[in-house]
Amino acid sequence: MLRTNIFTAWIYRLQHTDLSSKHTAVIAELRILLIDENRQRAESLTSALNNSRYKISHLASPNISLLKQVDEIQPDIIVIDIESPSRDILESVSTLSNYNPKPVVMFSADQNTDTINQYIESGVSAYVVGDIQSERVKPILDAAVARFKAFQKLKVELSDTKQQLVSRNLIDQAKRLLMKKKNLSEDNAFKAMRKTAMDTGQKLEDVAKTLISLLNTI
Amino acid sequence: MIEPEQTDLTLGFIPLTDSAPLIVAKEMGFFSQWGLDVKLQKQNSWATLRDKLHAGLLDATQMLAPMPLASSLGLGCAKVQVITPLVLSLNGNAITLSEKLHQEILLENNLAHITLPLAAYLLQNVIEVRKKQNRPKLRFASVFPYSCHYYQLRDWLTSAEISEDDLDIVVVPPVNMVAFLQSGEVDGCCVGGPWNAKAVRAGIGLTALTSFDIWQDSPEKVLGILASFQLANPNTVIALTAALKQACIWLESIPNRFEAARLLSSDQYLDAAIDVIAPSLIGSCLTHISMPPRAIPSYNQFSKSSHGSINVPEYIRGEWLLSQMSNAGQLKNIEVPADLVSQAFRPDIYQQMRLKLEDQAVQFFRRSG
Repeated sequence: MLRTNIFTAWIYRLQHTDLSSKHTAVIAELRILLIDENRQRAESLTSALNNSRYKISHLASPNISLLKQVDEIQPDIIVIDIESPSRDILESVSTLSNYNPKPVVMFSADQNTDTINQYIESGVSAYVVGDIQSERVKPILDAAVARFKAFQKLKVELSDTKQQLVSRNLIDQAKRLLMKKKNLSEDNAFKAMRKTAMDTGQKLEDVAKTLISLLNTI
Repeated sequence: MIEPEQTDLTLGFIPLTDSAPLIVAKEMGFFSQWGLDVKLQKQNSWATLRDKLHAGLLDATQMLAPMPLASSLGLGCAKVQVITPLVLSLNGNAITLSEKLHQEILLENNLAHITLPLAAYLLQNVIEVRKKQNRPKLRFASVFPYSCHYYQLRDWLTSAEISEDDLDIVVVPPVNMVAFLQSGEVDGCCVGGPWNAKAVRAGIGLTALTSFDIWQDSPEKVLGILASFQLANPNTVIALTAALKQACIWLESIPNRFEAARLLSSDQYLDAAIDVIAPSLIGSCLTHISMPPRAIPSYNQFSKSSHGSINVPEYIRGEWLLSQMSNAGQLKNIEVPADLVSQAFRPDIYQQMRLKLEDQAVQFFRRSG
């Protein structure tokens, strides 16, 4: 397995993000929920982001109130220490509930984390190694947000495409049944279905479903 | 004997009673008998443990039984082929309710006391009354989205036709569970030992039933390894599996179980008192501060059950877990390869390990005449 240095990967992406962000006219404020028991690191991150579009809410010991806080703050990004037990609570926020998934950026002091690799590829989380250097923080967050948005868009597109495939199969199946059982030409079968859909205000896919169950029981 | 390709290993574990096989294998010298120098690294969350395994920061790790399947499917993480050659334990979880919910159940059902194991339908009145009074829904916790805890909690609630629309289920890490119950952030939870017993001893919870009351003898924790690691280090994996199997056999004896509780209680491992670790290991389920414990002989199983050895990662076990994931709606829009279970559950490696163990036993008897 190929192991890439995280920073190399990030810097590579940043160049691309910077190019595209030049065209972004309005920059909205983004809320960050920072979960880190290391106060010093939290302070340095907060000061690094002064006068930027990022606004930080910091939780030092979030165990009791994390869910409430996520609910109240509705953060755009969650930044968390990789060793925090609360990491699993975040898994529930994105997996078990319908709460919108958030990009999660993780900080880790562990030098070994150099070897953490494919997580940036998963598009869900990003890891940042070592201490935070202020000039790097903003671009990292920018890139995380951009990547996350792109990843979410891809996911939605994929599920749309799958849905389209399913409905096309249904329509084809209904059309073939109509042709066979009602002795219609392909064109006429399709027209009949489309007319039914328009007359009854249903989706073509739903008409197909009804037809299939009807024609199969006859 | 066998020559491991890699002898220095880092293993991850979460502070739980059923991490006993890893801790026993280390402390009783089973790893070193197989030529392995193992470091045990305590992890704070399942997600981080998984990510570290995926990234190669951990060579192998204790895992929740559904996790190798979730990793192989890329559920909640990047898709990485994780295998398991060994089931480490069965059962071991329990559902504990906060004292407040305990009292609410008594009140809304006009009961003087609770009968255990608690039937989930007793929650129905509580849910109804809360709805009528516009009070918040009950909130239960499990330890991870892809965990038996979550599926067991769902099964118990479903037995009373209570759905996830009637209450909320969230994830809370095991080490934080007692604090969440105490603060009222959650009203009940499904968690492994020693955290149920700890809540009972502290007088803040009622252990309503154990996972053995819901599912009998299903895999709970497994040994997780990257498929790529096994390909590169087949002998290391056999040695590792053999040492852990020996620890599981060692844990069969009740006198040894108490010794295990002593080992586990140290701060580098569970950092908890013996009086909350030992009970489940010796088949006792603490229930409530003012009620006697229940005898649950199979509360923690590490090696044998009435059906023989529990450690074989049989396909049928994997298929069962997969069906639970599917019932919970976690496989929606996910393509599940037909060979998913046989790629992740590896009884073939277990059988190779068993032959090595038998060889070793034969040689031992020859030497000792």
